[in-house]
Amino acid sequence: MFPTPIQKASPLTQKAYVILLPIALVLWLLPLIGVAITSVRPASDLAAGNYFGVPSGFAGVDNYTAVFRDSPIGLYILNSFKVTIPTVIGSVALASLMGFALSVYKFRGNLIVFFMFVAGNFIPFQILMVPVRDFTLKAGLYDTTLGLVLFHIAFQTGFCTLFMRNFIRGLPFSLIEAARVEGVSEWKIFVHVVLPLMRPAIAALSVLVFTFVWNDYFWATVLVQGSHAMPVTAGLYSLNGQWVAAWHLVSAGAIVAALPPVAMFFLMQRHFIAGLTLGATKG
Amino acid sequence: MADVTLKGVTKQFGAHAVIKGVDLSVADGEFCVFVGPSGCGKSTLLRMIAGLEDISGGTLSIGGRDMTNVGPSERGVAMVFQSYALYPHMTVRDNIGFGLKMTGHAKADIDARVAEAARMLQLDALLERKPGQLSGGQRQRVAIGRAIVRKPEVFLFDEPLSNLDAALRVQMRIELSHLHADLKATMIYVTHDQVEAMTMADKIVVLSAGRIEQVGSPLDLYHRPDNLFVAGFIGSPKMNFIKTRTTAAGAGVTVTLPGGGTLSLPAPAGDLPKGEVTLGVRPEHLSATGEGDATLTGTVRVAEHLGSETLYFAALPDGTELSVKADGLSGLRVGDAITIGIPASACHLFDGEGKAVLNGDLRR
Repeated sequence: MFPTPIQKASPLTQKAYVILLPIALVLWLLPLIGVAITSVRPASDLAAGNYFGVPSGFAGVDNYTAVFRDSPIGLYILNSFKVTIPTVIGSVALASLMGFALSVYKFRGNLIVFFMFVAGNFIPFQILMVPVRDFTLKAGLYDTTLGLVLFHIAFQTGFCTLFMRNFIRGLPFSLIEAARVEGVSEWKIFVHVVLPLMRPAIAALSVLVFTFVWNDYFWATVLVQGSHAMPVTAGLYSLNGQWVAAWHLVSAGAIVAALPPVAMFFLMQRHFIAGLTLGATKG
Repeated sequence: MADVTLKGVTKQFGAHAVIKGVDLSVADGEFCVFVGPSGCGKSTLLRMIAGLEDISGGTLSIGGRDMTNVGPSERGVAMVFQSYALYPHMTVRDNIGFGLKMTGHAKADIDARVAEAARMLQLDALLERKPGQLSGGQRQRVAIGRAIVRKPEVFLFDEPLSNLDAALRVQMRIELSHLHADLKATMIYVTHDQVEAMTMADKIVVLSAGRIEQVGSPLDLYHRPDNLFVAGFIGSPKMNFIKTRTTAAGAGVTVTLPGGGTLSLPAPAGDLPKGEVTLGVRPEHLSATGEGDATLTGTVRVAEHLGSETLYFAALPDGTELSVKADGLSGLRVGDAITIGIPASACHLFDGEGKAVLNGDLRR
């Protein structure tokens, strides 16, 4: 088996593992720890150049209060939800249907359609920036939440379809055939047989898309100008003063903004179940 | 009435022909078994009847209605899959009632039918379990229950017992036979296990490479195989084949045996085949004690003592291998000389193309 379980490694390796793992962990989390510490740092520390040292005092309450008082972060978070939740629902729903169609039905062009979805993932979205902005302007979607949602759905569906198609391919096809012989319509097969078995895939994909879209900064700045539709990632910037960079406030805002994807993960965690198809076939 | 009729049915996968023109009729209420070696197209043929594979050519009718281009849901058939194909997220009760529920049956009706099927298959105590909590035999019973509740006119079974252990297979075989007697429905059953075919079938269809080799009752196939393939496929251990030549002799023919002996057989119905022929005789009809119309001598190569019987695999001086089924108490050992007796009445003759010209039907 690869990788070899650490319990089977030599004592020396085990010792090294015990020492190196926490170090690696801290290294990995260093940026996050930095941001977390900065978010409780008094503004004077930053002015004095104490960026990475021990904070001179605890200003967490002040900073976090200031974030909510001095900026419309509540509105930004709401905007982020307004963009992210419809995108997750839209792209996962579309991808489930597409994945079902591409994996279950044999039709001319099936593979070509599938490869187009895959190929779509390889287009660097920077080159789409100008045409997409132009298009949204003409379509009247510029600077609206709807515009962001539609474009996120369009861009996320490619990867999601790839994921769903391959997941459904992995389900025992005889389940679908059995339902067909029983006289169940294709739509009901999708809803009652395939969809319940896709639960782990839907949960995993939802978390993934939620995180992608929630953390999106690029399209938020390209397609939105005013604070009425600005998601929290782009909105955080407004925490900086006109003349001074208020990093302690930006950090506090960033921590607040990072919480929903984490919450989403723990919410969906119980749906990541292995072996859902246990018992379907001989096994 | 639900007879199944296939006329000139073919199946192509691209340029590859899998089913090469099958004509077959299965009568209403008949238990018909498709049997053949792996890759002979028996499962494909069953799936074509179910509607899970398109029919490339020819016609299929069920109960007199043309079903060639009808979808699987409209054909009124129920199928039991080799892999069971149970819905893993549903309880046994929901699994059995799923098809009825989806096709708009009343709840009371579904409950009654599920209860009836559960009673027939002794699944009463398991109705609230999920398939993952069942053993292989129980899962197979649920799969059968799912077929029964729909009261179909035709049941299709695709190697339903091949994933079960030997003891359970025997038990399920008996249960399926009972089920057929109770339901009186047409059943088509695919297997590669000739014991299942022989024990359950009213009619056996032997398939090889996409063609029907022979159709007949189990005992007809055993006693009157049409060709070398069927002769070799039905019966275990398989029939012994001896390459030989024949000469006409009065009212019959004389067959030359390895080692120089001869055997007189009744004349075949048609012309005497010219050139090399094959003499076929089943191991159970040979005598290990030398009783018969002719004898052969050889050496025991392998002896399998099964208790109820003993199987000897013997080599003749010219290298021909023969298997002989003997009494369980027969005490020959490996290396011993064996005198094998051949009864003329049990001998089959096949011509150069493998067609039977003489059948040693012991029922006469």
